Amino acid sequence: MNRLLAGPSPAAGAESAASHIGRLGRLPDAGPHFIDTLTQSRIVGRGGAGFAAGTKWRAVATHSRDNAVIVVNGAEGEPQSQKDRLLMSTRPHLILDGAFIAARVLRARGVMLYIGERHTAARDGMMRALAERSEPERALVATQTAPARYVAGAESAAIHLINEGVATPTTMPPFPFERGVDGMPTLVHNVETLAQIALLARHGAPSGTSLITVAGAVAKKGVLEVDSETTVGDVIKLAGGTEGWSRAVLIGGYFGAWADTAAAWDLPLDATGLRNRGLSLGCGVIGVLASNRCPVCEVAGIMHYLANESSAQCGPCFFGLRALADACGRISEKGTSREDIARLNRWAEQVRARGACRHPDGTIMFLQSALVTFAPEFADHRPHVTKLAA
Amino acid sequence: MSNSLLWYTTRGAGAITLVLLTAVVVLGVLSSLRAQSDSWPRFLTAGLHRNLALMTLVFLALHISTAVVDPFTDLGWVAAVIPFSSYYRTFWLGLGVIAFELLVALVVTSLLRNVIGLKAWRAVHWMTYASWPVAVIHGFGTGTDSWSAWLIAITIICGAAVGASALYRLIAGPTDPLAAPRTDFRAAVQKRDL
Repeated sequence: MNRLLAGPSPAAGAESAASHIGRLGRLPDAGPHFIDTLTQSRIVGRGGAGFAAGTKWRAVATHSRDNAVIVVNGAEGEPQSQKDRLLMSTRPHLILDGAFIAARVLRARGVMLYIGERHTAARDGMMRALAERSEPERALVATQTAPARYVAGAESAAIHLINEGVATPTTMPPFPFERGVDGMPTLVHNVETLAQIALLARHGAPSGTSLITVAGAVAKKGVLEVDSETTVGDVIKLAGGTEGWSRAVLIGGYFGAWADTAAAWDLPLDATGLRNRGLSLGCGVIGVLASNRCPVCEVAGIMHYLANESSAQCGPCFFGLRALADACGRISEKGTSREDIARLNRWAEQVRARGACRHPDGTIMFLQSALVTFAPEFADHRPHVTKLAA
Repeated sequence: MSNSLLWYTTRGAGAITLVLLTAVVVLGVLSSLRAQSDSWPRFLTAGLHRNLALMTLVFLALHISTAVVDPFTDLGWVAAVIPFSSYYRTFWLGLGVIAFELLVALVVTSLLRNVIGLKAWRAVHWMTYASWPVAVIHGFGTGTDSWSAWLIAITIICGAAVGASALYRLIAGPTDPLAAPRTDFRAAVQKRDL
């Protein structure tokens, strides 16, 4: 079946090479024409930005003089996301297949596995799978640990870490496809994207599915593989339903957007469809807000986290996100003030697009969607009564 | 054009170049100090620094070209390009050529900053601190007007302006408000081996 998680149960751990090949056959040969197949498949990146994979490959192919580098991005720094580590620890050969197809088509001289430091099961799965591969394939591969920070998963941060040991994003241009690892044209793909590409090479058609992490107030939190017709409501039902009433869902993780649960219920989780509505599938996290959680305080907490994750390279991001998070914190702790609401709206516009990377932009998208979705709550927030210790 | 007019132009343009260059250096130091007030935003410092630097080049071109074509000194274009190749006041003029070439390097690397990268640009920009004193010594050493009160006054004022701002810059130390948080962040994400 043309699905990422087809085959043995994910609970059985990393699939062996024998099972993988028995199920899917050997990795088919792929030449330059595969880039056309990839472009027609409309596969987009699954790391969050949703960039067209075919376009990325074409850019690297144009610059590669048999010296391209493939970076397998398994940093997964998004706190609620689970899907990348699940894929690495259960279907490592699918990911490696994708990386080696890229290496062949783009005539790469190396493959770098970039795996989050906390994802030990994922790393073990990947390393065991690598040991089962052929000697020429193994010789291509090097590994690097991604620090458990939000920005470490950014393309340019991965390259910066590999080159100079600093996992902070850099300004672009130069783009990775121009000058990446060791100054070579570099293709950075999220692990799920590579697994999707491996299925495309096998079946000639894209799987049409995506991995979704359901988080928050559902009975069964975890990863689901869904097709593009599956709606937000379907996903919540598949995850065992909400615990009580849910006010809103966060679609796409912390760089995604809040939506009213009832309004979003029939919304299909399709990357293009969501984009046309000003939403984003992002990294595939669907966060369900619990009925007993205050939206304003939840937003304030996440804003505080995202402000702390700024790599302190650009003033507007470091100072701007801090100021925005503080304003959210004041509303959360002391109640709504008209000045702070005005500041949030004004500063959000002033911070957007003013960083070397998209950290401020993603945070602003999150905040602005919160200000719209939770407009009534933000307009009239009062401090919660805290119990005094007896 | 009469010879004396060329000569006056050379000297006048030289003096104006010195004043402009000094203003550019002081503005550069001010921008590295992130100096600002309610009526003087930082982009004003940066904009003036850049535009005055380009204007300096215009007066410098006038200064050099009038000196070269002046039949009295009979320098020739080679002397304007190769340091210490002039028969006329070899040493003092050579300093001028060096200051001029450093300045051209500064402007060219600034225009190409996006191409050569911030690190290379910054390294070259440090040469300002060599270019400016060399230019001052050249002006004083070569100058026909060295002992005239107005040039002495200009030189002293310029020297004091650059000296004071450079000294203040030294005392002020690092001024990047992001330096400490950035260091903290990088320390927290130090490279680890698998």
